[in-house]
Amino acid sequence: MIALLQAELLKLRTTRTFAAIVGTAAALSVVLVALGAILEEETDPQLLFSNNSITYIIVLLGAIGMTGEWRHRTITGSVLAAPNRLRLLAAKTLSYSLAGVVLSLLVTVATMLVGTLILSAQGEATLGPGGLADVLWRNLAVAAVLGPLGVCFGALVRNQIVTVVGLIAMAAVLEPAVSQVAPDVGRFGPMTGAPGGILGGADAVGLLAPGVALAVLIAWALAALAAAAWRLRGRDLV
Amino acid sequence: MAPVEVRDLSKRFGDVAAVEELSFDIEAGRVTGFLGPNGAGKSTTLRALLGLVRPSSGSATFGGLRYDELERPAARVGAVLEDASFHPGRSARNHLRILAATGGHPARRVDEVLSAVGLDGAADRRVKGYSMGMRQRLAIAAALLGDPQVLILDEPTNGLDPPGITWLRGLLREQAANGRAVLVSSHVLAEVAQSVDDVVVIADGQLRAHGTLEQVLGGDDGPATEVRAQDPVRLTGALERRGHRVERNGDVLHVLGATPAQVGEIAGHERLAVLGLAPRTRSLEEAFLALTGARA
Repeated sequence: MIALLQAELLKLRTTRTFAAIVGTAAALSVVLVALGAILEEETDPQLLFSNNSITYIIVLLGAIGMTGEWRHRTITGSVLAAPNRLRLLAAKTLSYSLAGVVLSLLVTVATMLVGTLILSAQGEATLGPGGLADVLWRNLAVAAVLGPLGVCFGALVRNQIVTVVGLIAMAAVLEPAVSQVAPDVGRFGPMTGAPGGILGGADAVGLLAPGVALAVLIAWALAALAAAAWRLRGRDLV
Repeated sequence: MAPVEVRDLSKRFGDVAAVEELSFDIEAGRVTGFLGPNGAGKSTTLRALLGLVRPSSGSATFGGLRYDELERPAARVGAVLEDASFHPGRSARNHLRILAATGGHPARRVDEVLSAVGLDGAADRRVKGYSMGMRQRLAIAAALLGDPQVLILDEPTNGLDPPGITWLRGLLREQAANGRAVLVSSHVLAEVAQSVDDVVVIADGQLRAHGTLEQVLGGDDGPATEVRAQDPVRLTGALERRGHRVERNGDVLHVLGATPAQVGEIAGHERLAVLGLAPRTRSLEEAFLALTGARA
């Protein structure tokens, strides 16, 4: 399993996609935090440092990584090298969990540094070590689960464009619409509802408590993993 | 126990039977050609062997074990499939490093196989800049990574130039000489005829012939003789009266079911002048067309 995990991490490191996404996400996040800190009059530092925008990128990263195996037809070689498909899926899921944590850690630390400097320079309140640590664990927890969720959606759908467009539609249209019509249902959603509950902040009214939201998000990921494993195991690779 | 055993293998995709009750063995130390027209079921059979498709019934095993039951399967079996593909943004070296890590092969094997297939000079270039022949060499390098005892290659000459095909032929012979079992499917019959010891011919998912190349080329009609006669009409009559089938092409007769000695004896008995007499073997292409019912 460790060898498989190392191989999956090597896959991530040996194409430019991951580096490009990490770099772009980090740069965009820093710019957004800087603009927010400068332009908003009374900035909520917890909200400012919560990586709401990064969550989409992490889930898409996992989806692109998994569907890329079919897009580039490397799935055959992967299964030949590791015929236990469930272990292969588990290794990929775990690798994108780690990748999500690394990406989120980079972005969170960068935004906290820039945001704290700007807020301090403007004489506004900022977060102490305890507050920063609270934001950090929330961001990392969301990232650790959303990466695998993207992998599992990718394994279920296989087509890269359909998966990416489907996930964006779910996050930007479907879940917000459900939250508008039935907030008690929407807060259980995997893309915005449960992650919103974990990240908390000023938008947390009506959302699940962080611990419950994390449990719900993990349940979503496990359900997606079970479905993906069942589908991958029985699928002929022709 | 043979290194590769296919027993009563069947695979259906919905209502379509891709492979039906197929059985054959592959021996160690020999190169076996796996032939059949397009859609015959060759790729499905190879994928069933490699655990990529699930047989509807029967088995396809390596020394009695399914591919996914083998301990470190990539170190026992190396495969090049027809649709072998690579991430275009990854270098050949990194591609092999990933496969080495996944299959548990030592890292030094990456450089060894890159050198073996002649890609060491281009190892750090991204694959999207590779020619088809270079990609095929990379696929072969991946198959050799685990130094396996069984090699399975689906259309390995695709994209290779003539020097590349000659190189591949030498590689396959070398692998077999070292005691490995090599199964190679190809539609280039002339190439197969120069490379293989044994032949498995399938059509419509069913076995049509299995044996040494000589056996398969001999066909079911027994020996055959090519004879050039001064009076081909009279010689044809004499041969047919003795139960031999004769195909006439000008003054040259193809006599099926008779050795040159038998034909010479009949001609002598009839006092007919013979201008040329030689045993005749079918070309692999003729044998293939006869066995599969495909049209030239």
